[in-house]
Amino acid sequence: MLFSTVAPASTSTSTSRDADSIPQHHPTRDQFAPIPIPLRSLLPHSKLSLGCPILSRLLSGGLPVGTLTEISGESATGKSQLCLQLLLSSLLPPCLGGLAASSLLILPSLLPFSSLLKRLSRLPSPLHPSPLDHIFVASAHSPDHLMMLLYQADRLFHKSPSLMPPLRLIVVDSIAAIFRSEFDNNFGDLKARTGMFFRVAAKLKEQASRFGAVAVVTNQVVDVMGPEMAGDVGNNHHMGPALLSSGRMVAPAMGLSWANCVNTRIFLSRNDEMAAVGVNGEDMAACTRRSMEVVFAPHVPRSSCEFVIRKDGVFGLDIERQ
Amino acid sequence: MEISNLPISPSIRSKLLSKGYTSLSSLSSISPSFLAQELSVKLEEAVEVLRAVSDTTTSKSAHIPYGIIPGAVTAWDMLSEEQMQRHISTGCEDLDAILGGGIHCKEVTEVGGVPGIGKTQLGIQLAVNVQIPVEYGGLGGKAVYIDTEGSFMAERAYQIAEGCIYDILDKFPSNSREFLSCKERLQVNNFLAGIFYFRICSYTEQIAVINYLENFLTEHGDVKLVIIDSVTFHFRQDFDDLAQRTRVLGGLSLRLMKLSKMFNLAVVLLNQVTTKFTDGSFQLTLALGDSWSHSCTNRIILHWNGNERCAYIEKSPSVPSASAPYLVTGKGIRGINSNFKRARIM
Repeated sequence: MLFSTVAPASTSTSTSRDADSIPQHHPTRDQFAPIPIPLRSLLPHSKLSLGCPILSRLLSGGLPVGTLTEISGESATGKSQLCLQLLLSSLLPPCLGGLAASSLLILPSLLPFSSLLKRLSRLPSPLHPSPLDHIFVASAHSPDHLMMLLYQADRLFHKSPSLMPPLRLIVVDSIAAIFRSEFDNNFGDLKARTGMFFRVAAKLKEQASRFGAVAVVTNQVVDVMGPEMAGDVGNNHHMGPALLSSGRMVAPAMGLSWANCVNTRIFLSRNDEMAAVGVNGEDMAACTRRSMEVVFAPHVPRSSCEFVIRKDGVFGLDIERQ
Repeated sequence: MEISNLPISPSIRSKLLSKGYTSLSSLSSISPSFLAQELSVKLEEAVEVLRAVSDTTTSKSAHIPYGIIPGAVTAWDMLSEEQMQRHISTGCEDLDAILGGGIHCKEVTEVGGVPGIGKTQLGIQLAVNVQIPVEYGGLGGKAVYIDTEGSFMAERAYQIAEGCIYDILDKFPSNSREFLSCKERLQVNNFLAGIFYFRICSYTEQIAVINYLENFLTEHGDVKLVIIDSVTFHFRQDFDDLAQRTRVLGGLSLRLMKLSKMFNLAVVLLNQVTTKFTDGSFQLTLALGDSWSHSCTNRIILHWNGNERCAYIEKSPSVPSASAPYLVTGKGIRGINSNFKRARIM
């Protein structure tokens, strides 16, 4: 339960409590009088910048603390690159859109670790001499293992080892890979899988809420049938306007249950257009239009913008420059 | 509760007593013509007697033992009370219209829909609209918002409160003295202070806060709306014993229904959707199972109709099933035509 450290004057509780002396994350046994949180104390709502002002503006400042955001898209749409950008952004002080914090990256496997390190080191980080020192990495080979890692991360939220700032960002890349092939397709296992979705999401959201942190997961997409099957709910037509990528209708993986678990859903897409030949005759790679769409979020409407992936990061495009 | 206290002529009184009508309740469901026949008096005199009876009874509170069953209330009293109830506007005129004015107090309303359809937005809109002063057609009450998912953002509540105030001042441009004092109360900070926000992170906390609500509502008598967003989230974590889950949820819904009647407020429960395999295909249905579907008085489903958002009343004891489109705008929930409507108050 979240207890505000300054008890608002307007509410009184039947049990007497010294609100200031009790830390927020350790409710004592006789506290069954929850205190409402005054809304003005939640303003302005801190956000984690996406590392690019145009992309952050799409989300009215960035990812809100206390929430769980999903970044879904086909492979090679820039999800992992964006995650790395978030990991670095969290190091910045709040005045620059960061969380002044360490971050934790959870992967299904540490095999691509060297390429990960290479990509991280290429990203500019002018304010920090050694940003990699503030990024924890772990691998989770199953949903249960993931839960265990999250419980272990609790102590990092309270206090990090040595001189590192406490943990305030968890990135799971990708959640679909961690859940894949763990469950068979029979009914009992599907129910267990759904239960795990909610447990993982609840744990991430609880940590985000309690510690003013941000939780991000990436997800893959699955193909969706065309409109001639519109009556059948299994084809995602109940989720509103379709999402397109590479000219196909797609939907984020893990279904409706998982969709209920996240606060914000961001969809990255790419659409390859006719290849052009460069001025000097060099073969310009098929012009790829990349788009980031906010499918739903608690604080901004549905909107999208185009972006590019460069060696030094992911950057949004202003409409005039298209 | 005695015939002897009625303001009627002594001859009629003695006739009533001799015929065996000794208490007011015995006269509560008699037609004037029957009474006239019984007492051998003129019809107008019988009507007067019954009017005297109803005047006496309506001036008493409904909790006084009434005839046979203590605490019982006549349907007539209930009807007049219901007709005097104000409803909480949803912000969308079409939706308010099919709801019979808005969300009803003393009832539990469940609102379900797919992620991103606007459930939390509707919740925040209701938490703002319940605070609209009585002079402007609202309830002038406060709201309790129990957030289980973390989708409530204070900055969005700020925007919605701003939008609501803007629209009120636009609709009621009067500058007369009566309105000046409540115009001062139309401040965004007041609206934010009028929402009691609880953030809970597990199903045990959810049960605890609902149990605590009775105390809280006793202390804060001006709360007219309790929203739980969403009631489902913490109950889908694979309870080992589904029967236990059903029992716990049943207990929660009974408690909420009791609170809504006791404190004369509206309870709104936001729910998620899931798919159910019926009749050979997958259908969208609200989560928490079949037994839960009986727990709420009203049920509204929010869904996509192509690219348009729609609200459908699936279950209501007082209004027929109907559908209405709505928009989620920067100012909050609005109807399709609200941009074109301009209400002018003379």
